[in-house]
Amino acid sequence: MAKGAVTPDFFATENLVGTFFNTVAFALLGVAFGSIAGFFLTLVFHHRAVKVFCAFIRAIHELFWALIFLQIFGLTPVTALLAIAIPYSGVFAKVYSEILEEADTAPLRTLHPETSRLSALLYARLPDSMPHILSYTLYRFECGLRSSAVLGFVGLPTIGYHLESAFAQGNYSEVSGLLILFYLVIASMRWWVRPKLLPVYLFVSMFAMRGGAEINWENGYRFFASDIVPHPVRVAENFDLTTMMGLLEWTRKLIMTQAYPGLLETIPLTMIALVCTGVFALATFPLISPLFFGARLRLAGHIFLVIIRSTPEYILAYIFLQLWGPSAIPAILALSLHNGAIIGHLIGRRTEKHELRQDSSTGLNLYAFETLPAVYPNFMAFLFYRWEIIMRETAILGILGIHTLGFYIDSSFSDMRFDRAFFLILITALLNIGIDWFSGFLRRRLRLRTTPDDGKS
Amino acid sequence: MLRGFALFLLLSTFSVEMANCAAFTFTAIPDEDETRLHSRFDKVASYLSQELGVEVKFVPVKSYSAAVTAFRNNQVQLAWFGGLSGVRARNLAPGSSAIAQGYEDQFFVTYFIANAKTGLKTSDELQKAIAGKTFTFGSKGSTSGRLMPEFHIRNLFNKAPDEVFSRVGFSGDHSRTIALVQSGAYDIGAVNFKVWENELKAGKIDESKVSIIWETPTYPDYQWTIRGDVAKTWGDGFTQKVQKALLDMNDPDLLASFPRKSFVKATNSDYEPILKVGKSIGLLD
Amino acid sequence: MFDLQNVTAGYGGKDVLHGVSIHIKKGERVSFIGKSGAGKTTLLQLMYDKNRSNTAIIPQDWGLVKSLSVFHNIYMGKLNEKPTWYNIANLIHPMAGEVEPVREIACKLGLEEKLFTPVGSLSGGQKLRTAIGRAFYRSGSVLLADEPVSAVDDHQSREVLQYVNDTFETVVLSMHDVDLALEYSDRIIGLKDGQVVVDTPTRGIKKSDLDKLYLN
Repeated sequence: MAKGAVTPDFFATENLVGTFFNTVAFALLGVAFGSIAGFFLTLVFHHRAVKVFCAFIRAIHELFWALIFLQIFGLTPVTALLAIAIPYSGVFAKVYSEILEEADTAPLRTLHPETSRLSALLYARLPDSMPHILSYTLYRFECGLRSSAVLGFVGLPTIGYHLESAFAQGNYSEVSGLLILFYLVIASMRWWVRPKLLPVYLFVSMFAMRGGAEINWENGYRFFASDIVPHPVRVAENFDLTTMMGLLEWTRKLIMTQAYPGLLETIPLTMIALVCTGVFALATFPLISPLFFGARLRLAGHIFLVIIRSTPEYILAYIFLQLWGPSAIPAILALSLHNGAIIGHLIGRRTEKHELRQDSSTGLNLYAFETLPAVYPNFMAFLFYRWEIIMRETAILGILGIHTLGFYIDSSFSDMRFDRAFFLILITALLNIGIDWFSGFLRRRLRLRTTPDDGKS
Repeated sequence: MLRGFALFLLLSTFSVEMANCAAFTFTAIPDEDETRLHSRFDKVASYLSQELGVEVKFVPVKSYSAAVTAFRNNQVQLAWFGGLSGVRARNLAPGSSAIAQGYEDQFFVTYFIANAKTGLKTSDELQKAIAGKTFTFGSKGSTSGRLMPEFHIRNLFNKAPDEVFSRVGFSGDHSRTIALVQSGAYDIGAVNFKVWENELKAGKIDESKVSIIWETPTYPDYQWTIRGDVAKTWGDGFTQKVQKALLDMNDPDLLASFPRKSFVKATNSDYEPILKVGKSIGLLD
Repeated sequence: MFDLQNVTAGYGGKDVLHGVSIHIKKGERVSFIGKSGAGKTTLLQLMYDKNRSNTAIIPQDWGLVKSLSVFHNIYMGKLNEKPTWYNIANLIHPMAGEVEPVREIACKLGLEEKLFTPVGSLSGGQKLRTAIGRAFYRSGSVLLADEPVSAVDDHQSREVLQYVNDTFETVVLSMHDVDLALEYSDRIIGLKDGQVVVDTPTRGIKKSDLDKLYLN
C-alpha cells in the first residue's frame, strides 16, 4: 500500500475525465440547488415546524439519501443531485438564518411596517450579510465535492466509484493517483471558482446531466406507498388487531435486534471519536500557528492538514479498515483525524491574531500557559459543533462493516427491506436531532461562540 | 469566460452517458474484480447487439441490491444475477423469468477457506472447530458468499453466525474474501468456488497461507433473468431471441467475463431450493 | 401628533423611563437633551413604535445598508408601496421611473453624483444626508432622529439641520449639542434619569438654564 502511495498512477482509471467532471458537476448542482432552497427556507425559518423540518433533513446523511433515491430514480444524476441538495438545504437554511440574525437590525427598523418580509430581507438584511453568506456557501461547496466523491461508493459515477474498485483490487497506485487529483481539484478551487463563471458551470452541468432526467413517478409512488410501509401492515388485508400486534412485534424485534445494538455501538464510538478529535486538534494547531513555527514549517503544516481534512472520513476509514481489519479503531481514527484537522486549522488561524508580550514564554510553556487558555472557549465551541457531524459520520461508517446503526441500515437495503431501512434511518435522524439540540444547549449554557462561517458544516 | 465555457463543453462530451430508455440494457452483479467492468461487459453488449439486432447497453452497479433495484425499476431489462438476488428480483418484478444459467451453476458449491495459522485441515464435513474464530462472508446479498454458508452454519450449530464466531464481517465480494483470509485479517471465509478457481489460475492465491477446509453440497446459482414486459418494446418472441443468443454464446473470450464454460437453459422453478433456504434463515420474507 | 401619558418603559426588566408624559403637536420642532443614558433614545424609539406607519426615523449611526447604493438606500423608504417582485427587479436593475423622484431628493442633498455609489464608501456627511433622504422619501412630513449630527462637523451639522427644518413639517431630535438644539428647535425637552425635568419653548432660554440636566 505504501508503495502504491508513492507511485501514483493517474491513468489507470476508466473514463477519468468524465469521472472528475461528474464529481464536480454533482457537487456544483447539489450545492447550488441546496443553497437556493435553503435561502427560501430562511424566509420562513422563524416557524417552529420549518426549523424541525430542516433539522430532520440535515440529520440524514447524504449516503442514506442516496440509498433512498436509488430506489426511485436509479443510478441517475437526479439521485446524486437530490442526495446532496436535500441535506445541504437544511444546513443552509439554519446557517443563513443565523448569519442574517446577526446582521445589523437598524436598517430594518427604519422600514415602513407594511413592507413585505421578502423585500425587507433583500434590501435591509441580505446585502450587508452577503460576503459572509458567500464565503460560507463556498466552504460548503468544498464539502459538496467530498460528498459527491463519496456517493461513488454506492455506485454513482463519481471518483468514489473507482476508488472503491481500486481499493478492492489492491490497485493502490490508482488509489493514490485518484486522491492526488482530487486534492488538486480542491486546492485549486480559489482559481476556478469565480462568481462570473458560475452560471456557465451550472449551465454546462445541467446540460450534461439532461440525459438522466427521465423520472418514473410510479417508482416513487411505490416506494412511499408500499416499500417503506412496515411488512406486517403491507401484507395485511385490513388494519385490525392482528395487524396491530404484528406491527408491534415487528417494531419490538427491530429495536431489540438492530436499533438497540446499533445505538450501543454508535454512541460510545462517537464519544471516543469526539475526545480523540479534540486531542488531535490541540496537538496539530501549533503546526500552522505563527506563535510556534516559522513560515516554512507552517507551510508544511498547512499541507498536512489540508490533505487530512480534504480526504472524506469515509475514505480514511476505508483505508484504515484495509490495513487493520474491521474494528472500531479505524472508524475512531478516521473520524478523529478528519475532524481534528478541521478544528486544528480553524484554531491555528485564530492564533494568528494573538499578540505576544515582549516577555512571553516560549515552547511548551507558551502553549500551556498562554495559547491554550486563550483559544480554549473557541476550541470547545468548534468541538461541540462537530459533535453532531461526527455522529452522522459514525452511522455511515456502518456501511464499511462496523456495527453502528449504518451497518443495519445498509443490511436492510441489501435485503431489499426498505421498511426496516426507513425505520432505522428515522432513528438515526432522531438521534442526530437530539445531539444537535443538546450541543446547542451546552453552547448557550457555557456561552461558547464562534463566528458563523467557522466550523459548522 | 468564453474559454472556460468551451473547455467545459468539451469535458461534458466525455461525461458518462446515463441509461437511455431506447436501448436494451443489462447489468451484472459485481461479485469479483469491479475494475474494468466496462471493458469486460461492453464486449458482451456488442455480441448481444449483433445477435438481437437492437442497441444493447451495459450499466455497471456497485452492489447486489442496486442490480435488483435497477431491474425492478425497468432501468435494466436483463441481468446476470446470483441465486438469491435472482429470486429477489423475480419476486419484485412479477412476470420476469430465469432464461439461462451457466453450465457450472447447475451444481454450484461454496468453499469454506481458512488461514493456515488456524491449523484447520480439509474435511468431508463442516467442523465444529470453526466456532469462536473470526469469519467473513462475501457480499450481504450473495448466494454463495452469504446465503448457503449461513444456512450450513445455522444447520450445524443451530445458532446465528454472530453467536458462533467471535467476529463476523462482510467483505463485499469474493475476491476480497480470499484476500482477507489470506492476509489473516479473518480466520475463515466463505467463497464462490468459481472465483476461487479463477484466482488460483491467475496466481493470486498463496496456498501455503489459505486453503479449502470444506465444500458445501451443490445448489443452483447464477442465472440470466429477463423482465416479462420486454415484448412490449422489442416485439413478440424477444425473450426467446435473447435466450437463444445467450445459449449460443461460445466465444471463450466472452464466456471468460462470467466466467463460465457455456450457458444452458434455466427456469424459475430451478431456484425453488434457494427460495426455501432464504426463507428458512430469514433473508426472504 | 405624539401623545404619551405617564409612560414607563425599559429593557430587560430595568426601567429606563419613569412616568413620562409628552404631547407634541404637528408642526413643532422639538429637541430632547440630557446626559447619555437619560432615556432619549428609548423615548424616540417608543414614539416611533407608536406611529410607525406615518413617521420616519433616523437611528443612531443612521441605519444604512452599506453595500447598497444611495439610490437603493433612499428607495427603501417606500418598499411597502410596491409589490415584492417589483422591488426585487429594482434591486437588480433600478428603473427609470423610480430613479427620477429619488434623484430629485438626492440633488437637493448634494448627492446627485453619488447616486449609484455604495453607501459604505461615502463620507460621514454624505451618509447622514442619505439617511435624511430615505426618511424624507419615506414620510415626507414627520421625522424622528437620534443624535443625527453627532458624527459630523459643525458646518455640515448646521446645513443639514437647516435642510431638515425646511423640508419636514414635524421634527423631533435627540441632541447632544445644546447650542445646536437651542438654535434649530422651538421647544426643548430635558430628560434626567428617565424623567422629564425641563419642557419649555426655546425662546428666552439660555444654555446655562439647562446645566442642571448635566449635574449629578
